[in-house]
Amino acid sequence: MVALVTGATQGIGLAIARRLAAGGARVAVNGPVRDAALDAAVAEVGGIAAPADVADRDQVFALVDRLRTEAGPVDVLVANAAYMTMAPFLEHDPADWWRVVDTNLTGTFQLVQAVVPDMLRRGSGRIVIIASEWGVTGWPNATAYAASKAGLISLTKSLGRELAPGGVVVNAVAPGVTDTPQLAVDAADAGTSVEEIHRRYAAEIPAGRIGRPEEIAAAVALLADPSIGALVGQVIQVNGGSTRCRA
Amino acid sequence: MTGVALVTGAGSGIGAAVARRLESDGWTVAGIDRRPGGDRCFVADVADAEAVTAAVARVERTVGPVDALVTAAGHYAITPLTEITAADWHAMLRVHLGGLANAARAVLPGMVERRRGRVIAVASELGLAGGDQEAHYAAAKGAIVGLVRSLAVEAAPYGVGVNAVAPGPTDTPLLPADSPWRDPAYLATLPARRLATPEEVARCVTFLAGEADFCTGEVISPNSGAVI
Repeated sequence: MVALVTGATQGIGLAIARRLAAGGARVAVNGPVRDAALDAAVAEVGGIAAPADVADRDQVFALVDRLRTEAGPVDVLVANAAYMTMAPFLEHDPADWWRVVDTNLTGTFQLVQAVVPDMLRRGSGRIVIIASEWGVTGWPNATAYAASKAGLISLTKSLGRELAPGGVVVNAVAPGVTDTPQLAVDAADAGTSVEEIHRRYAAEIPAGRIGRPEEIAAAVALLADPSIGALVGQVIQVNGGSTRCRA
Repeated sequence: MTGVALVTGAGSGIGAAVARRLESDGWTVAGIDRRPGGDRCFVADVADAEAVTAAVARVERTVGPVDALVTAAGHYAITPLTEITAADWHAMLRVHLGGLANAARAVLPGMVERRRGRVIAVASELGLAGGDQEAHYAAAKGAIVGLVRSLAVEAAPYGVGVNAVAPGPTDTPLLPADSPWRDPAYLATLPARRLATPEEVARCVTFLAGEADFCTGEVISPNSGAVI
């Protein structure tokens, strides 16, 4: 089984790559460029280097073609690569706004377009889209990110309906705040320390802590399981019980 | 996580599939069912709070403290609203909502004290989206979701998770051969074009029991795409 995990050089993506590799998958480890972090992740999970900027359509299709030749068609796509900045809405630079949307939402659109023909031909495939709690709730100063993630949830539901008759199952995981290097970016944006950001987020979560990347990876493994086909177009929220996203 | 799991409705259908899957994952499984079963299956009607309390006490004494509770006991009927009697309504709520409340009341204090535990309620897709000619069932299953999300908030500070699995129509004895849910014309409307299997539902339950440490108040719905 070949699993392509985007954004897999750190954080949630790396935990997903580890988890799927431990389950026996041959993992194509994606990062935007081939660098030391990518090579380290590939070595750790015994996978395949799969560098590509997911926002670049040509790179995405070239990568999937190369994987087909070198390892076989992609059985599982985990669309995890994401870009995020925080800024007050009125101050958000339009170019940066579109970079967020084009990495997160358009990147997933073209990844799915690249892998799905092989899946439909074989009548099976699993696609797991990493959304976000903020795509459910919205979040101040994260409008571009939240909109892109809400778009991914809607994309998941539509693709779930459209592709399930062909045996391709699409679902999403919506992590709450998770302990990843992104927290350092959030802390810098908020002008405070990583420890303080941890504390602030944890205080709002019923479980009293933020999530761990491995906990997101466990949900991804469930949705990547080829023996489960009855989960279709669903969004599993892994967020410590945050109640504000209960519609 | 593994440990002692208690499954209500363990004698058949989804409950039986959950018990099998938990055992194969390494859990020690005890059951509660209306009908006598194997060695670790205790007879009780989940609608009867005293009987459930007594059964849980026996489980804890003979098997050990309960680390995971799965409430799968239930029954189903297709009945137009005007034909649902007060007794039908009462029975549906007592078994589903009462079954969860009774079992949760029996196990949660120990879980909170030990700072360890998972409760997984089997709800239904019909409790999320409603259904036609099963108002009592849909109301009872919807109530389970409300209770799950409330218990989740209360128990979260103690490291205890409470979640639900809301299956769509599933290939179990609850659906007779002539059930409209088995009609090929209905199945053709489902994105997955088929019923869910008890094993798929069981896998969602065991995910929540064993691996979902940061999931609480969540509803996972293996429903073949009936409700998205």
